[in-house]
Amino acid sequence: MGWIRRDWTPHEADEWSKEDWIAVILSPFSYILITMGLALTLFLQPLGYILLAVGIAITIFLFWVIDPKLTAISSEYEKKQRQYLKELEQIQRWEEE
Amino acid sequence: MVEFTWLDYFWTFAYLILMIGCGAIFYRLGKRSGSDFFLAGRGLPWWLPATSNYATHTATDTPMWFSGWVYAAGLRGLWYSLFTGWCAISAFVSTKIFRRSLAGTQAEWQTLRFSGLGAELMRGWLAGWQFSMCMFIAGWVGIAMGNVCHYAFDWPLWWGLVLFSSLCCLYVIAAGYWGVIIADVQQGITMFLVIILVSVWAGIAAGGPTEIVTKIEAMGRGWMLNPFHFTGWFSGDFPIMWLITMVAVPFLGGLGMATHFDWFVEAQRIQSARNIKDASYSIWWGTAAVIVRNSIWAFAVLAFFVIYPDLTDQSDYQLAWFRIGFEFFPVGMVGFFFAAILAIHISTVAGVLNLGSMYATRDLYHHYINPKASEKQVVFVGRLMTVVVLFGSFFFGLMIGEDVTKWLLFALWLMVAGTWLPNILQIIWWRFNAWGYLSAWVANLGVCWLVVWVLPAFGILTDLPDYVQFWLLMLLVGVIYLPITLLTKPDDMDRLVKIYVQTRPIGFWGPVRKEAERRGLLRAIEMMDLQAEMEARKEAGNGMD
Repeated sequence: MGWIRRDWTPHEADEWSKEDWIAVILSPFSYILITMGLALTLFLQPLGYILLAVGIAITIFLFWVIDPKLTAISSEYEKKQRQYLKELEQIQRWEEE
Repeated sequence: MVEFTWLDYFWTFAYLILMIGCGAIFYRLGKRSGSDFFLAGRGLPWWLPATSNYATHTATDTPMWFSGWVYAAGLRGLWYSLFTGWCAISAFVSTKIFRRSLAGTQAEWQTLRFSGLGAELMRGWLAGWQFSMCMFIAGWVGIAMGNVCHYAFDWPLWWGLVLFSSLCCLYVIAAGYWGVIIADVQQGITMFLVIILVSVWAGIAAGGPTEIVTKIEAMGRGWMLNPFHFTGWFSGDFPIMWLITMVAVPFLGGLGMATHFDWFVEAQRIQSARNIKDASYSIWWGTAAVIVRNSIWAFAVLAFFVIYPDLTDQSDYQLAWFRIGFEFFPVGMVGFFFAAILAIHISTVAGVLNLGSMYATRDLYHHYINPKASEKQVVFVGRLMTVVVLFGSFFFGLMIGEDVTKWLLFALWLMVAGTWLPNILQIIWWRFNAWGYLSAWVANLGVCWLVVWVLPAFGILTDLPDYVQFWLLMLLVGVIYLPITLLTKPDDMDRLVKIYVQTRPIGFWGPVRKEAERRGLLRAIEMMDLQAEMEARKEAGNGMD
């Protein structure tokens, strides 16, 4: 699936892209289909099997799409976190400024 | 009345010792610093906060209101439970933004997102609000435990409220969030196991899945097995407009922060995760466990319906899940079931006690009263505030009494209606300022009580369906905060640029992004990233040599 990008530099991953849209749109469907599908499956309803299977497939696809991007963002941000935390503590102790 | 054997007592006491033991074991970690007492040092792998999310959101009242919905409305009741769906979008939008802000609480976020006096007022307002809300939540969860103990052992309501929340408070005082998170893991696993077992036992008692379906259809209530059975666009109990509200409000709410009051609990888990990816995963998978739990519960409740189809009083059928365990589990297993109820109860109370204490300590004491407080003082005040939240919960619990579901609907749904859109706007629109946000919170509080309680009581307004009340409240509050936003100055550009560069919010941030680019801040970050990547590649190359 060449139209899905799975190789990101940290800076590129910071920008909103179609991979984010895919995750945001598919994620609610994943929750809804798993909820309804599992409930109906427990009552052995054929519709339940279909909804649950589609829900699981969507979930796997969604994380396949978004995981590389989240990994890239995280690795970049951890390097800056220390400085940001220091600044946060300065705001917290505002009397010292 | 439930009779306990020695084995039942064994399970109950063993479990209590195990939970309180967690506090003793993690005592040393909890007292190291404020960051440890409230955020477990911000270094947890995703599955720890995810399990904690799941455990905290499975409270003693949860099977009550869930049983109430499904017993009365069949599988359509599952749509109600999808209010947790905000995590679906939040995990990839607002969770990322909030984690990057590093704000310990939602109140702290206010002084990062907004500027000046308005930001400080918002921080103080939210801190006080959440401090009170944590007492309220611990109170209604506590009184739900009181109701369970009243049903099972014929105890007065306040015994169940006071006894178990107080025991739970012991390990929260000792180990803070470390104790909460570690206890949540074993509590989460225990309760999931018992939830499955109860459904299995319920299924067996009702004759199996096929028999349950046959019996429900024979009663002429086949619609209970259809989650898509609606009663027209606007009419009946379950119109499609209700469904649209049920889906749109939680899912779109994930674009913002604090759109549901669960957010405040999740915010603590988000910041305790070790990085952005772990924070996102913890939110998504913790809620995935919640929705799976709901489906398993629905099976048990409909099995109960087949066994007891004629209950008409909500206070009777809202105990469906508890009754299955107490009435159908074999001797010796009832104590294990009760231990699981304790796990369900204590995991939520523990999380809320620590969270309320965090708002009181970090946002009120440390920020306003004693900014120069040492880590030792912060931890001490954190412990003291934990006890204050506990006592406050007793007050609220006794006020709520037996009608748990009614209060929950009000708190979950309507009390957040007026702030729903402002909570999204603060993320997606740079021009939305502290004054607009503050006015939305204050107006919502007044308008909400007027529309839901006061005006209907005086016959000025008819009782509206809950989904209509939601949109009405949203509009009425909007009439107040939108003009205030546009008539007051935007937040300070320095503050906006700083939060934009750090958190990278989505939506309408054009002027702020332009200013950040003009100052070379985005380019500077790109260069830092490239440099870091080159260094990493160089290190990897050296490793190969």
